Amino acid sequence: MKLAIVGGGASAFYVASRLLSRLPKEAGVVHVYDRLWAPHGLVRYGVAPDHPEVKNCTHKFDEVAKDPRFRFFGNVNVHDNIPQKAFSQNIPLPLSSIYTHYSHVLFATGCPLPSFHPSLPQSESCIPALNVVHWYTQHPANQGPPPLETAKHVTLIGNGNVALDVARMLLTSPDVLRKYDVPSTVIDTLERSAVQHVSIAARRGPFDAAFTTKEIRELIKLPNASMKPIPEDWLVPAPGAKIDRAKGRIIDLLRKGSEQRYGSTAKTWSLDFFRSPVSFEGGKLTLAHTTAISPSTRVVPTGETSTVDTDLVVTSIGFKGDPTSPFYDPELGHMRTQAGRVQGAMENVYGSGWAAMGPKGVIVATMMDAYAVAETILGDREKSLTPLKSLGGDGTVDLGSVPGELVGNTGVLDYDDWKKIDAAEISRGELVGKERERLTWGEVQALLGRH
Amino acid sequence: MLRAGLKSLASTSSRIPQAFPPRLAYQPARLQQTWRVAQRRSFHWSTPARHAGIERPEPGTGIKITFKDSKGSVIKAVEANEGDDILSVAHEYDVDLEGACEGSIACSTCHIILEEDTFDRLEEPGDDENDMLDMAFGLTDTSRLGCQVKVSADLANGSEGIVVRLPSATRNMFVDGKKAAH
Ligand SMILES: Cc1cc2nc3c(=O)[nH]c(=O)nc-3n(C[C@H](O)[C@H](O)[C@H](O)COP(=O)(O)OP(=O)(O)OC[C@H]3O[C@@H](n4cnc5c(N)ncnc54)[C@H](O)[C@@H]3O)c2cc1C
Ligand code: FES
Repeated sequence: MKLAIVGGGASAFYVASRLLSRLPKEAGVVHVYDRLWAPHGLVRYGVAPDHPEVKNCTHKFDEVAKDPRFRFFGNVNVHDNIPQKAFSQNIPLPLSSIYTHYSHVLFATGCPLPSFHPSLPQSESCIPALNVVHWYTQHPANQGPPPLETAKHVTLIGNGNVALDVARMLLTSPDVLRKYDVPSTVIDTLERSAVQHVSIAARRGPFDAAFTTKEIRELIKLPNASMKPIPEDWLVPAPGAKIDRAKGRIIDLLRKGSEQRYGSTAKTWSLDFFRSPVSFEGGKLTLAHTTAISPSTRVVPTGETSTVDTDLVVTSIGFKGDPTSPFYDPELGHMRTQAGRVQGAMENVYGSGWAAMGPKGVIVATMMDAYAVAETILGDREKSLTPLKSLGGDGTVDLGSVPGELVGNTGVLDYDDWKKIDAAEISRGELVGKERERLTWGEVQALLGRH
Repeated sequence: MLRAGLKSLASTSSRIPQAFPPRLAYQPARLQQTWRVAQRRSFHWSTPARHAGIERPEPGTGIKITFKDSKGSVIKAVEANEGDDILSVAHEYDVDLEGACEGSIACSTCHIILEEDTFDRLEEPGDDENDMLDMAFGLTDTSRLGCQVKVSADLANGSEGIVVRLPSATRNMFVDGKKAAH
């Protein structure tokens, strides 16, 4: 088998790990393509800086990359029809080249785009949470800092873990964040931040909160921020409702409230349940009040609305695939797969991770999905060396070949390049007593001697 | 406007801040790593991972641990020393239990299921462990995080010693997690 994996996030590495440990030594190779020059997808460009332990999974990814049958091609944007670059430095690679060089292809491209709220047009003061995440992780697509210097009151729309990550970044003292993998420019902006209150609005109630226990506990434990108490009657389950263990523990936490008494800290935050945005204009956010008693109940507007003064609205209502990506299903917002096989595609075309499951699930879910997809691929292995699209010849792929576009192209970064960057970032960080200081693309080029 | 709201609420609350267990000390494990790029694609790299390198006891002298799959079939019976954690033991003997966060209580990939007897003899899991168990797949009443359970003689039961069951969601994970030789 000669497998190309498009996308080099956690899913790609877990699939590669399982495949390479199962495949007999000479039976195949795995080539991973990512349009980012760094591997690991959201583990590097999503996971919050104050969650360094979550990033320990990259040690396993490094082990996978040491396998001589594994190759990483960073900074390569795989596109379907129109030559596309996600970032100006990208090398575009048509999917047709993948098809002629590989016997199997796996799409592990994640869900790279934010979903928008229909009532909240984007503006300087209304941005998706992904912009904030891209800013504090210094993603190549980052659009600079959010306007925190002038934002006293911030409203997050949505209460999933990404919203809570953003809230925590805004509420945590820069002195605490400084030692982590937070770019120094980000710390500078956070030091000038005017944020006093972060409101986390969601249209459902506490029993349908999207965050997990760990994330809400982290907010509750913040030493310099306190939570507005939640009305007790919102924390009572509907009669007969089945409350699972995790929900029960979350409700207990919400009932206890933050460690710091509300109002005793310089910064405050609130979980504003049963609120759905209607409009945001001139610093005024109008929210419709809703009811939704138990998980099975639909969200119903009560007819009431309220308006709050807020300086910055950050929407965190999910992610989706790129509509121009191959096999995109508009109904799902990502590709449709069945046991890992992409529906509507030819044989030996697979999808895994957020690209296939949708933008849900932490690393453990991504990992288990990846292992299951790897099993599917292994089961389909007999057809191993026939290219996905033949150009004639003897009808088999050459395990050693790479698409012609990439041969001798110094814009492509391999895993050794990444480890050099990684080491440079870590030692730069060490100098100033932090986990790492990220390099910019320009600095990467200088480090690797590629211009 | 906001401030006034805060004050009035603050005065009505008399809750005493709760004590929580201290946060795990942050250990930048990666700072200790070295990645030596030797000749092209033939490099070596050593990771002093926190869960690597436990000692196997002399056969017959250790505490017996029996790993089972979700259906109860024995995967492997091994021996470990007092104080080793189950995740490290699994790794030492190539039983495929994942430890994505390397024992930092940040992933739940090391979820295991114990026998009731064993579970009851352990100290209760802390808040942080329970928070991760909340996200574990196939959670049971006797679930724990493998990285947090330390082997000790008084946890063993009969001839199988400490019985460690891997949850059903990881059923498909194969047992001998080592890479093919190369
Ligand atoms: C903000 C945020 C924070 C998170 N925090 C945590 C956390 O603390 N703990 C936790 O367990 N989980 C966390 N998660 C979830 C976790 O990140 C996911 O489970 C996991 O990363 C999904 O992996 P993936 O490989 O499917 O997708 P991704 O990690 O998104 O990887 C997809 C990769 O594909 C590449 N790609 C896309 N299109 C192309 C193309 N056309 N050509 C080439 N490459 C392409 C992208 O550049 C990217 O690198 C977080 C998620 C987000 C969004
Ligand atoms: S290894 Fe991550 S919680 Fe045990």
